[in-house]
Amino acid sequence: MLNLVARNRVLMLLAVMAAACLALGFAAPGYLSAATASVILSNSLVLLLISLGTMLVILTRNIDVSSGSILGLSAATLGLSLNAGASLPLAIALCILTGVVAGAVNGLLVAYLRIPSIVATLGTLGLYRGIMLIQTGGRWIEDLPQGLKALAGGIGFGVSILTVAVLALFALAWIFLRRTRFGRYFYAVGDNRDAAHHLGVPVRRVQFTAFVASGACAAIAGLIFAAQIGFIPNQAGNGVELKAIAVNVLGGVSLLGGSGSVAGVFTAAIFLTSIDSALVFLKIPAFWNDFIAGAILLTVLLLDGRIRLLIDRRIRARRYAVHDRVPQAAETPGNHADKTLLAEASR
Amino acid sequence: MTEDTAAGRAAQLTGIWKSYGPVPVLKGVSLALQKGEVHALLGGNGAGKSTLMKIMSGLVPANAGSIEIHGEPLTHASPALAQQLGLYLVPQEAHILGNQSVLENICLGLRPSPRSLRKRVEQLIAELAVTLDLDAQAATLEIAERQIVEILRGLIRDARVLILDEPTSALTPFEVHALFQRVRKLQAQGVGIFFISHKLREIREICGTISVLRDGAVVLSGPLDTYSDAEIIDAMSRVATGDAPLASTRSGSDHGPVRLAVRKLSGEGFRDISLEVRAGEVLGLAGVVGAGRTEFSETLFGLRRQSAGSVTLDGVELIRRSPRGCIDAGLVYLPEDRQQNGLFLEAPLYWNASSYLIHRLPFLLRPGRERSLFNGFRQSMGIKCTGPGQSAKALSGGNQQKVLMAKCLSAKPKVLVLDEPTRGVDVAARNDIYALIRQLAAEGVAVILISSDFDEIELLADRVVVMAFGRLGGELTENISVDAIARLAFGAGEQAHA
Repeated sequence: MLNLVARNRVLMLLAVMAAACLALGFAAPGYLSAATASVILSNSLVLLLISLGTMLVILTRNIDVSSGSILGLSAATLGLSLNAGASLPLAIALCILTGVVAGAVNGLLVAYLRIPSIVATLGTLGLYRGIMLIQTGGRWIEDLPQGLKALAGGIGFGVSILTVAVLALFALAWIFLRRTRFGRYFYAVGDNRDAAHHLGVPVRRVQFTAFVASGACAAIAGLIFAAQIGFIPNQAGNGVELKAIAVNVLGGVSLLGGSGSVAGVFTAAIFLTSIDSALVFLKIPAFWNDFIAGAILLTVLLLDGRIRLLIDRRIRARRYAVHDRVPQAAETPGNHADKTLLAEASR
Repeated sequence: MTEDTAAGRAAQLTGIWKSYGPVPVLKGVSLALQKGEVHALLGGNGAGKSTLMKIMSGLVPANAGSIEIHGEPLTHASPALAQQLGLYLVPQEAHILGNQSVLENICLGLRPSPRSLRKRVEQLIAELAVTLDLDAQAATLEIAERQIVEILRGLIRDARVLILDEPTSALTPFEVHALFQRVRKLQAQGVGIFFISHKLREIREICGTISVLRDGAVVLSGPLDTYSDAEIIDAMSRVATGDAPLASTRSGSDHGPVRLAVRKLSGEGFRDISLEVRAGEVLGLAGVVGAGRTEFSETLFGLRRQSAGSVTLDGVELIRRSPRGCIDAGLVYLPEDRQQNGLFLEAPLYWNASSYLIHRLPFLLRPGRERSLFNGFRQSMGIKCTGPGQSAKALSGGNQQKVLMAKCLSAKPKVLVLDEPTRGVDVAARNDIYALIRQLAAEGVAVILISSDFDEIELLADRVVVMAFGRLGGELTENISVDAIARLAFGAGEQAHA
């Protein structure tokens, strides 16, 4: 049982979430409804995508703190080109291209110019936000066309086309990481870079790809952001990168690289978002959100750490228990021929 | 022996030059490896063996020269390309992906999926007569198991050229035997093998050709049987052989009072270990990997918790031991894995040398004194480095080990526990370390020497205690021989399997 919980962060999160939901259902009747679920899902889309991109980077033992700025920059590109009269598909293509280029710059700095990822992306965090402000002249982008906002509208079952797109991306990422050789390389590079290099894994290409993917995810998140709220403030995406890192940690992705699953990230992002909506139902003032989210994050991690320690101790005990069976055998005289052979082998 | 023809060559290195900064490491090395040849490569610390092998396997670019593998050139430094051409390097320090399963570790980078390769891996494991849980998480593997993973990586890749960099340093004699059989089979299949080792006996057993590197150049090359051991050692070290060969250096029998007494110590991985060491005595603690020697010594040093027993140093019981408490009491431990537990690899050498004393130094450190402390050791031990400010990772294995010894000695130990002090150390540096151990014993230090290399124990120990399966397997006070040690070390184990 203990093993199951520790090995499977997703299960643990689901259990905590289920318990919390049940408690909430009692405390605030009306919380447990399809409508709430739909709201939570659509509220978490931006965080989901940023977390997914961040996860790909963290897996390779790097970090990307510029994704919030990439979100802002690509959203601004989208808004400006739409307002300049570009068609929606063209604007979306430009938006994603912006994210890919921004991610590629990150990847170039880290993988090929060997700048530590925290430093490189801290730099581009400021840089991209700055470019966005220069582009927009520091003004908010409003009056976005209806066509964009319509993307966030429901297409039945309380989901929008955006929700479907995000779910599809998660499925793709899951298949990529689980079932493809290149996906396995992500884990290998993060786990032990030297070993991966030694075994012929294209380490730099993997790192570069991770940053590009992260940039693309951030750009799509920017698109969703703009479609959902209908305008683009200067601070769009500000701070979401840190929340995404928290989601990764909560979802069981090791910051040291090499381990973590898409399912964990998905569950953790939904979990964090559902806390926000639960607080609304409980009529707790919104300024408590950060405090409660932080407290829950720490509690889960602490619990998880303790369980892991316990399991490690058990594994070790089991391994060493082998020695306890030996002494009787040792006292009986052994087969002499065998021993001679062994001594021979040792020469 | 196969004749040297271009078609018969598995690998050809021509005029390889390499320098790190202004220091040339390789000065135009040329080597030819025939198909079906096991070619021994020897060299002292800093001779350039590792660099040469790294260049061959595409890990490091050469400054000049060319490499051909089965006639095809290695056009740029890329491990992927080298493996495509059929070359694989089994490194001395295993590269492990801790989060992945053992099977995934072995098969990473190969085209077929790990699942489809499982059968073949299992077959190889059976052939090598080792035990390895393919589904275990690789982080839980011991050093020896990690090395087996590396060897399996080389074997599963169907390499046409295989480089084995000290493949036996963590293996038991039994596993070595099995590995050699496998190597012979590969040889018969026409695989060319570079075999790097410091153990002349192993080289004599398995290799047909030998090349010796010294200071970045080949100084001796040819069929192995035409050279005597003395000639080979002579070629390796510029120092005359007079002090080099492994003369027995056992000291007299009159030792001082009991320094360290361990009574019925139990803990994770071992049980009821009792032993005594006297001042000036070298006690060999032998046993195969996994016998519990490292667990025992780590518990002794307070790194792990004991479950029962007592430890007495100079008549004073050490209760609730901590590493710092042990150091202050005069019990010092040199750990087995110098990369992981021993050295601060990035830090300058003099930081390393004073690291066991750091808690005794004043709040404001005096770098000048630390440097002169290190320089003292540098001189007395012959540590090869550019200066006390050099970082430890830049040194070769033997020199790193000397720095580690210096660190231990700086604490002025009464009892020194050395865990595999010569693993991955070349013959010349090994002899330096042996001499040092002898000298320490002569100065009255009680030494516990832990080693899987039974030759080393035979050579140095005044008395031997053998551990097998976490318990005391026996004790030898006279007629210490490799055979006798092996019998005790394996006897209990063989019974347990039967």
